[in-house]
Amino acid sequence: MMNISKTLLRRGLPQANITSNILLSTATIDDKIEIPKRIPRGPTDILRALESTVGRDPTAAHYKYHDDPYLIPLSSSGKRIFAMAQEAGRKAAHWVRQEHADLFQHREADPVIEAFVPPMVYTEESEVAVADLEKLIEMRQVVDSAVVYRVLKEKNVEVAQELEQGLLELLCYQNCEDGVSEEFVEERWFRQASKGKEFVKKTWKDGDLAEQIFTKMTPKTPESYCAIIQGMSKYRQMDRAVQLFEEAQKSNIPLNTNTYNSLIQSVNMIKENFDMRWSLLADFLTQMKNSNLKPNLGTLNAILYALSFMGNPKRAKEYVLQTLAEFKNLGIEPSLGSWYYVILTFCKERGPVSTILHDIINHLEDKEHQIRDLKDTHFFVTAMEMARHHLNDVALARRIDKLLNYGDNYNLIGDSYKESVYFRHYFALLCDNLPLEEFMNDVYFKLVPHIYVPEVGIMAEVLNQVDVNGAVEYIPKLWSDLIVFDQSHRENLVDCILNTMVNNEQLVTPELTESFAKIAWDIYSRSINEEEGRVHRLNLTGDLLGKILILLVRQKDFEKACKVMDRLDKNQQTIAGVPKIEALALFVDLCIEEKVPSRGIDCIQYCTDCGFPEANSLAVRLHKELNLDEVFLERLTKVVGDVFSTS
Amino acid sequence: MSRIYLITWHLPNNIKNTFHNVRHRTLQKVSLCTSSSSSSDDDTKLQKKVEEKKKSKEALDKLNKLLLTMTEDDVSSKTKLNLAQPTNKRQKKLREKQDFKESKATPTETLVNAANNVAESIGGDVKQTQSELLMKLLNVANGDATVNTNLKDLVKGMKIDQESAQGAGLSKAQQVRQILQEQSKAPRRKGDMAKPRSKSAKSPKRDVVVEKISLFGSEPLGIFSPNQNDLTEGVVNKTWNHLYDKDLKLAVTHPPSNYFQQMILWTEQKKIWKFPIDNEQGLEEEKKVYFTDHVFLEKHLEPWCPLKGPIRHFMELVCVGLSKNPYLTVEAKKEHVLWFREYFKDKLELLQETGAIQETDLGKLHADQKQSEH
Repeated sequence: MMNISKTLLRRGLPQANITSNILLSTATIDDKIEIPKRIPRGPTDILRALESTVGRDPTAAHYKYHDDPYLIPLSSSGKRIFAMAQEAGRKAAHWVRQEHADLFQHREADPVIEAFVPPMVYTEESEVAVADLEKLIEMRQVVDSAVVYRVLKEKNVEVAQELEQGLLELLCYQNCEDGVSEEFVEERWFRQASKGKEFVKKTWKDGDLAEQIFTKMTPKTPESYCAIIQGMSKYRQMDRAVQLFEEAQKSNIPLNTNTYNSLIQSVNMIKENFDMRWSLLADFLTQMKNSNLKPNLGTLNAILYALSFMGNPKRAKEYVLQTLAEFKNLGIEPSLGSWYYVILTFCKERGPVSTILHDIINHLEDKEHQIRDLKDTHFFVTAMEMARHHLNDVALARRIDKLLNYGDNYNLIGDSYKESVYFRHYFALLCDNLPLEEFMNDVYFKLVPHIYVPEVGIMAEVLNQVDVNGAVEYIPKLWSDLIVFDQSHRENLVDCILNTMVNNEQLVTPELTESFAKIAWDIYSRSINEEEGRVHRLNLTGDLLGKILILLVRQKDFEKACKVMDRLDKNQQTIAGVPKIEALALFVDLCIEEKVPSRGIDCIQYCTDCGFPEANSLAVRLHKELNLDEVFLERLTKVVGDVFSTS
Repeated sequence: MSRIYLITWHLPNNIKNTFHNVRHRTLQKVSLCTSSSSSSDDDTKLQKKVEEKKKSKEALDKLNKLLLTMTEDDVSSKTKLNLAQPTNKRQKKLREKQDFKESKATPTETLVNAANNVAESIGGDVKQTQSELLMKLLNVANGDATVNTNLKDLVKGMKIDQESAQGAGLSKAQQVRQILQEQSKAPRRKGDMAKPRSKSAKSPKRDVVVEKISLFGSEPLGIFSPNQNDLTEGVVNKTWNHLYDKDLKLAVTHPPSNYFQQMILWTEQKKIWKFPIDNEQGLEEEKKVYFTDHVFLEKHLEPWCPLKGPIRHFMELVCVGLSKNPYLTVEAKKEHVLWFREYFKDKLELLQETGAIQETDLGKLHADQKQSEH
């Protein structure tokens, strides 16, 4: 309509025609007018919208690091230290505020920012009210709420049943101890969760406040039974949990789905062999059904978790598929955690190869996933692990990576440990299977060092591949990476890099020869200069020194080569092994070129000391090329014996 | 907060226009009808009047409906933001270029494409069949079979040979390496051939055949019935569920990777103001109190304060002062006034001596006292 009016204006038609045209067009539009509903926006929606326009820049360090080239960490330990140092600063600030709470009483902001107010300290003598207990339960302060509760009980203040129930649930959930505060994000990120999948040991605190409240509670409500059983199952106190469960069954107290879920999860701790575990599990499910309880995602995940290490892999697999079908009929969509357990069950290390991962990825592809269960964060790591070890499939790994980077799915990577393991598997798989150039350009240079820092093993594989492919142009970059990642003292890596440099002589350009010589000298000087203090020190063997010698000689750097030779010669007792004869031969050739026969003679002396039979031919050559005079000839004869009689 | 955002919401343009149109149309119709009625007979006039009334009524109904729809409930907010995404013109161009390139295929490339098509039509392991076909086709040209076994170990092994058998000239290792170089530098399609070879070489035991497992296809356990509508999950552990949800959220909360994420975190922790910014955040209680309660405080004076005299004068000044005070709540102001009442009651003797209070006023105070005693 507006367009029509504009075009008409441009044509310069009189006003009346325009209006009549507009009226005509309005007469033809539909009578039904659809006004779109107003979309209510939350307080952070605009920020999220802006955030969606910013992606991850792989060439920049993570946002949390200070944006100064000197202060950007490039090794994995460096990253951890820098981030934790920042967090330590925050903790120090918290401590100062706690210590000197009297200095922080000003309330400059209006409305008052609760997070900046010093936290209340609750002791035995504090004046507390029921409202305080409510607030503390809401804020998830376990220890403080326990103190406040005790004080209230001592003063015989009436605490409502609901509030007591809330307190009981809090204590059961947290096992009567405080967790890591929500403020400390870095600590959570770097917390290396222990991999105790199978039998987590019992950590429930017997006889602590939770149990006390439960026993004193009269009458025992269904909620309290549910809470205590769930708490005990979570912290693996199975005997008491089952006991309480049977008590509840006898007294006909209705429980809820989540309680049954927690019991199902611990089935493997209660019984010993597959048949008994499965029958107990089926028992729980039938009891749940008889109590008219609706199963939920937690039920599905509990069953799958129990099946993943129940024993008897073949039958477990059957049951897994049956469970999936069952819950599909109930309309419950499996979460990523469920698929994690499925992968665990099917792709066992010592079992037949299963390609279920393909089907799972087909099912999950191109969709954004939300976190619905705490175990969802394990999915991507395990999927990549299976793609590498179990299936060795690059296309599948690529698909998993694409899924990870789709929308907000990257949040499901879990913590830093899982992220590094994920990339470790991804790297290793691609390194082994892709042509080297593609691997280096698409994967290595993109992800290293800001997104992922390879471990020693992975660097070793990359160096191997470079060696096999003879792609010596990558060596200087890889060596500088080794220094940055603080891996330059690893003997296997240094060995590999030196081998690559030495063995590919015909592939190098003059610039590369020069850089190789520099690298060799760098290796040498590092091992010399880091004598005191450093924990990690590289001990150069004779072989390695020989390789360094070769590289220096190729660059015709006589001075440095002499230094290395001296070191070899003088430290014969401390250096393990001897260099190859080619190294020494090359050095002698260089001496001939430089016309320094004394050095040559010293080298030949060293050869004879090491017991090389080629020493004689070397001596002959030296004499022939340089036409030694009396003094030198005499020295040489002393070393090798009389081999010059024929010449 | 350094910036204050003004968010005005206004009727979108098309709605305004439709309003104007509807109104215009109804007015037009009415005007047409009125103009025509004067020139026609009475009967037809009446009929037309009825008709026009109907039409205007219809138009008014439509207007009313429009207004109603606007005041209806808003759409329930979805957690996902649907944002307009720009089309990626660069990618489209690249894709067009690629298509163009592919159309100019060389004979070897057509071979590869043909092999691909055949492999796909056969089904099964596409890559495997494709590589086998290609090997058969290209080996005819090459003559000798390319290295089939574990490449890496072979090359490594040959390196060891080189060291023991010295002076062997251009050794096998170097030959193999040259071949490998050619292969790695060759166009990427030949890289496909390297893949299945190395895959089979890497894990010779495992001949991976991708067999499709139907994830949901097997027989269900048969424990639960599909009809779940009337079942519940049992008693609700409110605090437990609340804690679990918090834990879930924390599991996906990572250190912020840009400033926006940090601001989101701070907003959720209530450290910074919420968008859209309005000055009255945190003053929800005050919104419930109407402004007249703040300003018209004389009503608190009514029961007890004398109508004339120095006390009244004073109390009126107090009321004026309090009405101009934006920092106190209504209750606080009321308490101020009532405090004065108590104060004057205490100082009754002094007031009577100085004559600030008259007998008539005294009655009022006492009356109030009696009332308050009741």
